Amino acid sequence: MSFFRIQLQRSAIGLPKRTRGVLMALGLRKRSQTVFHPVEAQFAGMILKVKELVSVQEVDRALDSKELRAERSPEPGFFIEKAVPR
Amino acid sequence: MSRSLLRSVLELRTPMTRLPPSFLLPIRSRALTTTTQHVDPSIPPTNTPTQTSIPPRAPSPPTPNTLSRPQHQTPPAPPSAAAAATAPSTAQFLPLLRAQPNHYITILIHGRPYLVTEGDQIRLPFLMHGVLPGDVLRLTRASVLGSRDYTLRGAPLVDERLFECRATVTGVESEPLRVKVKTKRRNRRSQRVASKHRYTILRVSELKVLGPAA
Repeated sequence: MSFFRIQLQRSAIGLPKRTRGVLMALGLRKRSQTVFHPVEAQFAGMILKVKELVSVQEVDRALDSKELRAERSPEPGFFIEKAVPR
Repeated sequence: MSRSLLRSVLELRTPMTRLPPSFLLPIRSRALTTTTQHVDPSIPPTNTPTQTSIPPRAPSPPTPNTLSRPQHQTPPAPPSAAAAATAPSTAQFLPLLRAQPNHYITILIHGRPYLVTEGDQIRLPFLMHGVLPGDVLRLTRASVLGSRDYTLRGAPLVDERLFECRATVTGVESEPLRVKVKTKRRNRRSQRVASKHRYTILRVSELKVLGPAA
């Protein structure tokens, strides 16, 4: 099952109430927020309503918030090779 | 008066401690510091415009395949064309980089760069959790690896099989207590907020440039 990965790129400030309603229904509240929805006709239609505001990718599975955070943060770049006895 | 005279006499007696006038300094110093990887990707790597007459050519262009392979397999090397362009020059110049005595490296810890050489002490701007003084850390991410005459620039990272860098945790340092007085308007109450952060100290204990065999 594949998912749409939707990120809000442009703010909804000053847009019609109808457009904001679509964004709220998608679960997008603030810019650069990322949500996942299954690839279905109703979500495709909602994305088409706000296609100027979001960026969409099709991914294999939905990531949770921890995974999204790990994706953003850089690698530690070290590991403990020899530890003193604790 | 007499002191300045004495000093001038002393300086004349030990001329080696002072630098010669600028027109006597070696004019080739700029050429020595040019990096090897300034090669434009459009220029074929066989043509080495950055090579001056000073550093010797590679004695034998050694095994480009074995060396170019790890560079090519570096996971975050997005432009494959650039990686392919730099890989042969890496194979060509890595022995020269290894042959030089002292090396420096820009290691990345949590994505932040620290330019160090062997024996350096780093005070990290944070307290590293889960380590104790005496622990030996292996540092695996680096963006630049170089010596006096050669620089290997990662795109964006240097392959971790090309170097071996270790650091020892030597302790924890803390800053002096800072007190910030916070006030609200139209209110006589003031709040004192104290902060005293702790920082981990590392010492770079080992830095080796590995060859194709290692």
